[in-house]
Amino acid sequence: MTLIGPLVLAAFLFCVGLYGVMARRNAVLVLISVELMLNAVNINLVAFQNLVWTGDADATGQVFALFVIVVAAAEVGVGLAIVFNMFRNRASINIDDADLMRW
Amino acid sequence: MEAGLQALDYAWLVVLLPFVAAVVIAAFGRLMPLKGSEVGIAAMAIAWVTSLVIGFQTFANGPVDALEQTFWTAPVGGLTIEFGQYVDGLTAMMLVLVTTVSLLVQLYSREYMHGEDRFTYFFAMLSLFTFSMLVLVIAPNTLQAIVGWELVGVCSYLLIGYYWREKSNVDAANKAFLVTKFADIGLLVGVIVLSVGVSAHTDNVFSISETIELAMAGELSSLTVIMGCLFIFLGAVGKSGQMPLHVWLPDAMAGPTPVSALIHAATMVTAGVFFVARLYPVFIQELVVMNVIAIVGVITLFFAGFLAIVQDDIKKVLAYSTVSQLGYMMAALGVGGYTAGIFHLFTHGFFKALLFLGSGSLIHAIHSNNMSDMGGMRRYMPWTFVTFLIGSLALAGFPLTAGFFSKDEILVSAQIWADNGLAMGTWVFWLGLAGALVTTFYMARSIFLIFFGEHRGVPARPSARTVADIEAEEASGVLDPQAEGEDLAQAAHDPDTSPTTGLGGHHAPHESGWQILTALVVLAVLSFPVGLAGGFLWDEVGGSTERNFETWTATHAIEEATYPFLPGADEHSEEGGEGEHAEEEGADEGEAAGLPGGPDDVALAAGPATTVLAAESAEGEISNHVLHGAPEFHLDVFVLALIAFLAAVAGAWAIYGRGHRERDPVLHMGGLTTVLVNKYYLDDIGYRGVVVPIRDHLAPATSWSSNVVLDGIVKGVGGGVKRLANVTYHTVDQKIIDGGVNGAAFSAAWWSNKLKHLQSGDVQRYAGAMLAGVIVLVVVFAAAR
Amino acid sequence: MTSLDIVFILVAVVTGGAAVMTVTSRNLVHAALFLGVTLAGIGATFLLLAADFVAMVQVVVYLGAITVLFLFGLMLTRAPIGRETLDSRNRPMAMVVSAALFGILVVLIVRAFGSNQFPATEPISSSVADLGMAIFSTWVFPFEVVSMMLLAALVGAVLLARRQSGDSGTETRVTPIREALDDSTEELDRAPAELGSGGER
Repeated sequence: MTLIGPLVLAAFLFCVGLYGVMARRNAVLVLISVELMLNAVNINLVAFQNLVWTGDADATGQVFALFVIVVAAAEVGVGLAIVFNMFRNRASINIDDADLMRW
Repeated sequence: MEAGLQALDYAWLVVLLPFVAAVVIAAFGRLMPLKGSEVGIAAMAIAWVTSLVIGFQTFANGPVDALEQTFWTAPVGGLTIEFGQYVDGLTAMMLVLVTTVSLLVQLYSREYMHGEDRFTYFFAMLSLFTFSMLVLVIAPNTLQAIVGWELVGVCSYLLIGYYWREKSNVDAANKAFLVTKFADIGLLVGVIVLSVGVSAHTDNVFSISETIELAMAGELSSLTVIMGCLFIFLGAVGKSGQMPLHVWLPDAMAGPTPVSALIHAATMVTAGVFFVARLYPVFIQELVVMNVIAIVGVITLFFAGFLAIVQDDIKKVLAYSTVSQLGYMMAALGVGGYTAGIFHLFTHGFFKALLFLGSGSLIHAIHSNNMSDMGGMRRYMPWTFVTFLIGSLALAGFPLTAGFFSKDEILVSAQIWADNGLAMGTWVFWLGLAGALVTTFYMARSIFLIFFGEHRGVPARPSARTVADIEAEEASGVLDPQAEGEDLAQAAHDPDTSPTTGLGGHHAPHESGWQILTALVVLAVLSFPVGLAGGFLWDEVGGSTERNFETWTATHAIEEATYPFLPGADEHSEEGGEGEHAEEEGADEGEAAGLPGGPDDVALAAGPATTVLAAESAEGEISNHVLHGAPEFHLDVFVLALIAFLAAVAGAWAIYGRGHRERDPVLHMGGLTTVLVNKYYLDDIGYRGVVVPIRDHLAPATSWSSNVVLDGIVKGVGGGVKRLANVTYHTVDQKIIDGGVNGAAFSAAWWSNKLKHLQSGDVQRYAGAMLAGVIVLVVVFAAAR
Repeated sequence: MTSLDIVFILVAVVTGGAAVMTVTSRNLVHAALFLGVTLAGIGATFLLLAADFVAMVQVVVYLGAITVLFLFGLMLTRAPIGRETLDSRNRPMAMVVSAALFGILVVLIVRAFGSNQFPATEPISSSVADLGMAIFSTWVFPFEVVSMMLLAALVGAVLLARRQSGDSGTETRVTPIREALDDSTEELDRAPAELGSGGER
């Protein structure tokens, strides 16, 4: 099995996620897209872990993937809370409505 | 670590505990059942026990090697500031003294300060005050010592101004702070001078032990030692209330009486004497330094005593007495009496604390500081009477009391100094003797006025405050922080004492409660053994000559220190302490000089006592070693001191012993009284000599020169510049510069108006832009490879 | 081309397709469900890469929890449906940038790792025990930090999402900052009232 397969898949997922982040108006969809990007990273981590596998108790890549999953879960929690807050305050979760910082 | 000295490792604990107590009291004291006082007393009790163990271990093994430890270093620029501990016999002695007095004062304050508004604050400050002094005491370097020294100053300021509602107390606190602060400049300069001198030889420039070693090795230049020591001594003059900077001390009586006891006995005024003793091997390098110390000390001890005679305020009597006794200590240090000086510091700490606490007990009962309001108190307050009497006897040097041993030791030291051909010893001896007489006289006067005769209550003298005055003050809400007011305020809080307010003499004064009496009795009992510890009767009461105050407080540095200016110093340093020939020369000279005015055998008797290494060197020799040995019994000194004592008591009895006299003779001695009542005009000199000239002459002169001369120049220059500026303004500024500036501003505004649209507030566009940038960078780097 | 490769390609195609559907779907719920498919595909990829424990965590955490969380989020915010409202005007730019990035990444990946093969043998499945040993020996400190972070995120999320105290149970009536969204203004204005009446109270 070649290495580039998973890597290209990861790159594709990352770019799709990136597209979602930039193109979607709905904040929840933006969060979903961010999840895609994080998962792309996880694929990379696990794939490279597999490449350098020595047979010993060396699971660094997978450990990092787990950490990323945890961080992603936390991110979703906080992100959704922020989205709810925004919805409560503005009755809208459109990203481009949140432009208080514009000129 | 030597065997039997393990406790020295824990000296830091003694220092830390009061600090912890202060913090805890300040933070939680108000919530505690005893308002925080229990924390202070408990911490101090632990510290006291620790100090006692340290004291006994050093006593049993003395002289001990100093234990020097560094706990924390703070690099500051090129310097390294170290905090640690330096424990030797001297430190141990101070630890015992400070913790003992502080513990008893805190116990005493529980009753004395009962019901005060800021009771908790008071205890926090007491603990902090003690902590500050202990920081100084265990300082291994001069910087830490300065930290402790200044903390002591701040705490004393806060405590003297404890009754801050009365302006005079605040003024007293300010005065104490400013006077000691002025002297502290000397300390700072002295420390810097010494450290610069030391820096040529070692990196640890502030280390006390290294400074001492270098000074003893003669590595420091004469000028460095003289300047450094004299400036440090200036600091000590201020802190230890030597003339002429003693003026703050009597005013410091504005604080509560326990604070006075603490300041006078343990935690503040002893700092100066202690610091000189700490650096003693440096001070003895130069005769001029020693002479200055001796002169200042002897002037202080002699003249301050007279001031105490004319005082009516019992606390002022004791304050001037303290100044006088501090003069004794300094004078002793100035004539080579290292052991004598700090021994007097030690014993004085106990009996002066006793006297202050006793006076506080009286004030507590009478609600007046004035002796003219007292009289006959021995019937009302027998315990206070007995303890106060013991304290007075100790202060006056009655045989077998603590003061007797220490004062005689000072006189003997002075005698030995004179025997070595140094005239200052003679002066210290005779003036010290006269000072002892004066001391006895004013203490006897106080005793007679307070405890004998009839209870006078409020005096008829118009100058005294009447009940109406005080009540009016109370009604107007002014709390008089002087002791009268303090007790009124207290009486208002304390239903027990308020009906018995002694003003007007309607009610008999009554004895104080157990907490005050405990402190008094303990101190009174201690007034005997602390003297025996160093006295020459130590071996006769079952002690050992091998172990006494001298071996306790002597450090090895002190033992090895020599006076370079005494004959034989050169040979001595060359032959490393074995210059017997030189010592014989010194002996000859000493015997030839004799004691001016004294019997011939005095000099001979002084001989063996003068040498520390008495066991090693031959009998009858006078070495140039530091005179720190415990002098032997000198019958002539004893007799002279006893005669002075008896004469003074007799004189006082003749004047005051037969009841109260309307005319106090000491107040009717014409010009002399005037001078004394006005405190030698020192305050006036300070006012007229420093304050007034600056205010009335220097300031107006400065003002005139500023207005006329400087203003003329300034205005002339200003006018010319103004004309030039006008021209410049209209041409250069308005046209060229403004044009440029405005142009720049306009262009900036135009561009920013265009560019602001980039800041759309749309995060997704930002993300896109960022990613585009990343892509460009990746392409650039990929292409570059 | 081994059988493993074939399986992987199938999985990758499904995953990629689902991902594309996720970011382009006009229906919010569909988007979330496609996300679930994508995540499942990624889990399968993990299995193929012999990371079975990670795959299991992926299924449990992502499929089981996060997808549901998103669905709840979507329902609670009741966002409108349709390309106009779901996609912003940055869509063209996003497309260009993403495509460019993907192209560059693929070029770089092929250039850098094109020759790399996984070890010839079947990938050794790393045991859960190994993973546990790694986490609790080498990575124990980051592990603790991560757990602290998770706790902080939990508290933060609760704090952010809870109803502000002092309300009488209904949402405070708010107006969007920009009323200019004319087509949805009516809907937005109605939203708070509906929420207040439709709430559990």
